[in-house]
Amino acid sequence: MTKGRSAYRISILALFIAIIIIQNFVPLFGYIPIGPLDLTTIHVTVIIAAMVLGPIDGAIVGGVWGLITFIRAFTSPTSPLAPLVFTNPVIAIVPRILIGLVTGYLFNWLRKTHLPQTVGMMFASLAGALTNTILVLGLIYIFYRNPQVAAVYHTNLNGLLNVLLVVVATNGIPEAILAAIVGPLISLPLQRYRKD
Amino acid sequence: MSNKLLLGRFIPGDSIVHRLDPRVKLLMSFYFVGIIFLADNWQTYLFLFLFTMVAILLTKIKLGFFIKGVRPLIWLILFTVLLQMLFSSGGTVYWSWGPIVISSYGVVNGIYIFMRFVLIIFMSTLLTLTTPPLSLADAIESLLKPLKVIHFPVYEVALMLSIALRFVPTLMDETEKIMNAQRARGVDFGEGNIFQQMRAIVPLLIPLFVSSFNRAEDLATAMEARGYQGGEGRSKYRVLSWQLADNLTILAFALVTVVLVILR
Repeated sequence: MTKGRSAYRISILALFIAIIIIQNFVPLFGYIPIGPLDLTTIHVTVIIAAMVLGPIDGAIVGGVWGLITFIRAFTSPTSPLAPLVFTNPVIAIVPRILIGLVTGYLFNWLRKTHLPQTVGMMFASLAGALTNTILVLGLIYIFYRNPQVAAVYHTNLNGLLNVLLVVVATNGIPEAILAAIVGPLISLPLQRYRKD
Repeated sequence: MSNKLLLGRFIPGDSIVHRLDPRVKLLMSFYFVGIIFLADNWQTYLFLFLFTMVAILLTKIKLGFFIKGVRPLIWLILFTVLLQMLFSSGGTVYWSWGPIVISSYGVVNGIYIFMRFVLIIFMSTLLTLTTPPLSLADAIESLLKPLKVIHFPVYEVALMLSIALRFVPTLMDETEKIMNAQRARGVDFGEGNIFQQMRAIVPLLIPLFVSSFNRAEDLATAMEARGYQGGEGRSKYRVLSWQLADNLTILAFALVTVVLVILR
């Protein structure tokens, strides 16, 4: 098997980036529209990249997703909230980079314990998905306590925190469950491509 | 499906804009997003609108293509505008009900936001319509070059970007094929509740990832067989050339900035 070659690393990262680009532009594949913040399946790609290729490569793939989110917020927003929120590069990019890092490092750490690999993958995927949801919504709460953002959620400023918590429940939990199930399902057979 | 893809919407042509250096087009598109925030009254927005229209005329591409770019987003834009109208206060109040206030300030702001969105979408559509994706990758590589000082892997990033852009249509076809194959086996995409919708993604993702890994493997082997040994010390086949028209474009944008500052 070919491990640790620069040509291979570049090609596989490029293909992951291509998948991210496709998920962004094929309807029903990357974003499933429900309410003001879409349900996404793109984080699964980032999580798989982090578990199969390693934390740094996961962070790169996540960073590309963040950059696309940022550029799309100006040019072709995905949801009513995007032009208000994701035009801030901190909210658009930082959580997505951290998905890769959290998943990758947690998985590497769990691999050294005696847990079965599948369980380690489940925990790492779960942590990665929650990192995304909690950071995006947390940063929205920190940066955007203004009436417009509150209005997208049909609430006032005082209710914003509660609504964001509800969004964690309605979007974050399905996304986390999806990641926890699909992450190991896909990453396990791909483990043989790991380069270490 | 593929006609919705932003990246694939390059329209070959031979206008002045088509022949511009992609670096100029990329930089000026970003610059345009920056200076649009300078506009703060109707004169400045009218001026920017006329400027964008002139740019579109120069591409010799039908206005319809640009409007097509805005159409899928129109509800989103109107929703954002409506929010802005209902929740910003100031100026003469026309109507109010609880926290909802329609004021002159809100209405004017809403119109400005609408204009801002449409102009940014027009400009970015102009960039993608007149520039092939690979030229864009070349432009990004060239613009990132200064980052080599801080040991940023510019060559690797550029190569990655070129490969990614090259494989977007290929993987797209493959995604479509897998989707149809799974449909033939009874998978419903985009139907049912959230969990059913998400579960439908799984039989799409697994084959896509496996084939991507195989492709990467083949590609890397083929690259090495052709003597690829890493980014440093290679020459370039596609060379970007900076011409008079590029300087004039930058001059035009500088003039626009000056006029904007005077009008505001």
